[in-house]
Amino acid sequence: MAKRQNKSTPATPPASTTTPETKKPRRQTRPSGSRFFSAWQNQQLHALQFSLHRLWFNPVSTWITLATIAIALSLPTCMHLFLKNLETLTDDKREIPTITLFLKKSVNEQQAKDRAELLSELPEIQQVKVITRDEALADFRQITGFAETLETLDENPLPHVLVVTPKLDTLGDSDEALDRFSRKLKAYPEVDNVQIDIEWVQRLRTMLNIAERIVLVVSVLLGLTVLLVIGNTIRLDIENRKEEIKVTRLIGATNAYIRRPFLYGGVWFGLFGGVLSLAIVQLAFMFLIAPVEKLATQYGSTFSLSGLAPSMTINILVASVFLGLIGAWIAVGKHLRKAETSE
Amino acid sequence: MIEFTKVGKRYPTGQLALYNVNLQLDAGEMIFITGHSGAGKSTLLKLIAMLERPTTGEIIVSNTPLSKMRPSHIPAYRRRIGFIFQDPHLLQDRNVFDNVALPLVISGMSQTEIRRRTHAALDKVGLLDKERSYPLMLSAGEKQRVGIARAMVNRPTIILADEPTGNLDPELAQDIMYTFSQFNELGATVLIASHDHQLVERMKKRTIVLQKVAQ
Repeated sequence: MAKRQNKSTPATPPASTTTPETKKPRRQTRPSGSRFFSAWQNQQLHALQFSLHRLWFNPVSTWITLATIAIALSLPTCMHLFLKNLETLTDDKREIPTITLFLKKSVNEQQAKDRAELLSELPEIQQVKVITRDEALADFRQITGFAETLETLDENPLPHVLVVTPKLDTLGDSDEALDRFSRKLKAYPEVDNVQIDIEWVQRLRTMLNIAERIVLVVSVLLGLTVLLVIGNTIRLDIENRKEEIKVTRLIGATNAYIRRPFLYGGVWFGLFGGVLSLAIVQLAFMFLIAPVEKLATQYGSTFSLSGLAPSMTINILVASVFLGLIGAWIAVGKHLRKAETSE
Repeated sequence: MIEFTKVGKRYPTGQLALYNVNLQLDAGEMIFITGHSGAGKSTLLKLIAMLERPTTGEIIVSNTPLSKMRPSHIPAYRRRIGFIFQDPHLLQDRNVFDNVALPLVISGMSQTEIRRRTHAALDKVGLLDKERSYPLMLSAGEKQRVGIARAMVNRPTIILADEPTGNLDPELAQDIMYTFSQFNELGATVLIASHDHQLVERMKKRTIVLQKVAQ
């Protein structure tokens, strides 16, 4: 029901991009490739700066989020580091397995030495070393803490021991061959018990295998936690900035433009959370170095804790950034879909 | 430029805002829309900016029927329009400069270009000295002028203004109208909804009167 009243003044030809304040030649009319790219660059740069700035609008909640992410990430990292160090313990043991024969209490020193001589003639055996019960006791005394305990004993509780180094060329390297050989050794009447010192290595390996899977499960669960924490933080941020999103939409913001600062926000959370988690792991590591080395020297080992490998450090950062990006993407995507249907 | 054919708009609440509107605006025209409050002035402007969709009829802008426009093209279309809202919709947590610069930031302009154009737009509405102020510190009239600067900063082809001078004193209102007609002389199509009859008459432009729909 509109009706015209006045006749309008004659229209000037449309010159869309000139304005009163600048009489410059048109600049926007022909968007060349490089111009488009620089616009894209400007938008990226702006979103990057803005999201970084935005992070410190509410420092308390930002720090809480970062701490949550860092703790969630440092747990599996610490477990991984622990396992890696245990694995290095087992590495060198594989090379020279030795078999320890504990002789029966009734066997005297001469009998033990005779048996050792006989054994050393076997083709599968390279060397047999006899450790008499007196030598063993002397060794034991050296180890701190045991001296007093041993004083209280009336007699030496230790048996004679033969330490057998098998010849791997004739025996073969497999665990089965070693097993068979140790059973054969156990059949001698003087022998009470046989221990292959790779046994504990094998058991430890099996345990480490299980532990690795546990670490994997925990990593996945805590990774999911990081995803949810970042997703939820971004979702709250979107809620707080609903009005802003509405206004920018009214003046022509694309979905990509609206999404961008939130995605960067997720990336920042992931990155800073990851860096913080690495710091936590490093602190825990430094806290453990001294006591572990003390323990190692007590066992006469040169073992020392190894820290995170550089490749692992990068992996953790990449993973946490990726989780942040995905979390933010899910949160913004959900909001944009909702906004579109309501429009 | 802008063509309405039998356009009707009924809101989901059942309220009939526009009924059978036929309208033709040429490119570069400056037109006033008057009418009682509730006559559908705001709705008419919102339909052009695609902030609302008509229930019946078709609107054609620059030879493109709006009903056929793909959703992905709407942002670019809106960037060609400068919309001045009755309530200026400023972002409270950003200062005047950042509010006015927003359309340029969305377009991805360089920092120097943004600074230059934003200052020019702020100068135009007389708020250059307030660029560091936040919306809460401004009077209603100043907020309105920030909204106007934001709508014009991107040099749009179409300017839609919904009661742009509602909160301004007569002198300032006249100034703003003068700014609009300057834009118009440079080729922008300007569509202003206003109930200020005196002001509209003084501008001596084509005027469209919307009559209230009999329900």
